[in-house]
Amino acid sequence: MYFLRFVGKRILQTVIVLFFVSVIAFALIRIAPGNPATLLLPDNATEEQIQEKEAELGLDKPVVIQYLNYMGGVLRGDLGTSYNYQQPVTKVFFSRFPNTLRLTVAMMLICLACGIPLGIIAGIKQGTVIDFVAMIFALLGQSMSNVWLAVLNIYIFAVWLGWLPSVGVGGMEYLILPALTLGYPLSATTCRLGRSGMIDVLREDYITCTKAKGIPDYLVYCKYAFKNALIPIVTVVGSQFGLFLGGSVVVETIFSWSGIGQLLNQAIGNRDYELVQSSLLLIACMCAVVYLLIDIINALIDPRITLD
Amino acid sequence: MDKKIILRRIRHSRFMIVGAVVLVFILALSLLAPVVCQFDPEASSIAERLLPPEWLSHGMAGHILGTDELGRDVFTRLLYGARISIMIAVAVCCSAAVLGTALGLTAGYFGKKVDMVIMRAMEVIQAIPDIVLAICVLSLLGPSTLNLIIVLLIGRTPMFCRLARNNTLVYRNAEFVKASRSMGAGRAHIIFTQILPNITTPLIVQLSQAFGSNIMIESSLSFLGLGIQQPQPSWGNMIAAGRKFLATDPWVCFAPGVALMLIVLAFNFLGDGLRDVLDPKRT
Repeated sequence: MYFLRFVGKRILQTVIVLFFVSVIAFALIRIAPGNPATLLLPDNATEEQIQEKEAELGLDKPVVIQYLNYMGGVLRGDLGTSYNYQQPVTKVFFSRFPNTLRLTVAMMLICLACGIPLGIIAGIKQGTVIDFVAMIFALLGQSMSNVWLAVLNIYIFAVWLGWLPSVGVGGMEYLILPALTLGYPLSATTCRLGRSGMIDVLREDYITCTKAKGIPDYLVYCKYAFKNALIPIVTVVGSQFGLFLGGSVVVETIFSWSGIGQLLNQAIGNRDYELVQSSLLLIACMCAVVYLLIDIINALIDPRITLD
Repeated sequence: MDKKIILRRIRHSRFMIVGAVVLVFILALSLLAPVVCQFDPEASSIAERLLPPEWLSHGMAGHILGTDELGRDVFTRLLYGARISIMIAVAVCCSAAVLGTALGLTAGYFGKKVDMVIMRAMEVIQAIPDIVLAICVLSLLGPSTLNLIIVLLIGRTPMFCRLARNNTLVYRNAEFVKASRSMGAGRAHIIFTQILPNITTPLIVQLSQAFGSNIMIESSLSFLGLGIQQPQPSWGNMIAAGRKFLATDPWVCFAPGVALMLIVLAFNFLGDGLRDVLDPKRT
């Protein structure tokens, strides 16, 4: 009962947030200088042609009506047309989405394979050499701006060692460098969270109790301690997953990885207003849904959360 | 907390001392840039383009870290770039901390509808990735230092607001607050003299970590050409410019990259150190 009420409340909150995001995305484009109608016409267009185009695009109507028309379309699944690609926004967006998804999944795999185990082990073996190495790994990773890390990766693996291609989209070999650039800082963060979470949990009385009962160490760590150290990790890793589903503009641009981030950056450069506006809304939708799922997962891990 | 305990903890916190020393060093160098450097950060000289650092062969005396593609001294640009990055970080983070704390206190203390409105607004901001928001606003309104500060400020405020609100909720109904309320204390008095002093510690820690992440975001935006504009130097646009010469002249990229890493590392050390030093639960 508490659980259902909690979920219902969170869904309602998400809908409200998304409504305001749509207003902001809409307003942002309207505030921008420049008339979309003139951008679509040749330079020598007459005043009459401009007005005609404005009427065609619905720009002559009051802003509120324009917004309602837009949202009406959104609710019917019509997110407008990209001026630049002359295709529906949904088509352009979702043709790029698999690339971003691939990158995001690769980033998560790196984080799951390195960050979490390293953090957990460092927490268990606090004060040892492993702990020290893990902390250096984490501190360095958290201090790397993705611009610098990308350039460093390209230099080491593409220029110096010549093992991997530096930029482009293609098979596995193209995926590694951008995934590493996104994955290392995230691994560093989860490593630290895992470590501090594990240290806190291992101090609890119930862990001492399970140990005193003679339950083997590995079972204590895996079954009893790990689950409670997991909540902050799920929150952070999950929210990063949500954020990066919207594409990492910087990393995708550096590696010429044709995903959502690069699309958005180019769309802004081309003043492709409908594409920018609807992409923003789609990105925010994905983020909000992921945040919602995180809260539900956390509530499943720790039912006390729903009582709040 | 007792000042003696804090001082003793600071002396034992090696990471924090290292962080503070590095920061003071970078800050001093960048403030003294006009004295330390003999070159103009924006003056190009084609004859001296892409010289390697002084200590390498073919290096030219005076150009400690070599020159870039327009013959400008990399070390000089590094120091002038630090000034603008640090200035923006301080302006953004301090104002975000003040604004966020004010909103968080208001939301936490008054609760109900006020809380709902403020927290939903923060969620709306957080639903749009901050770098995406920054790119949209900066390319639509035009890149300028003021626009950059404003858009970063919007992105940084929610985390301070959430932190302040959650901690305010803890103290709103504490015994000592109830006591002073029953003795007739006004809202402003309770908020500023009873609650605020109790919630500052996590905010200070958050602030010191925000500096580092703000410098990283600013460098990303400058890298994309939306932050600080050439010829004015910033670490982000230096990396962007040097990227084309990565294979042949890596120092043009490496100098700002390493500087970026060092300053963020120093801020993180300081933040972690502060958290340990100010931890009231520590024995």
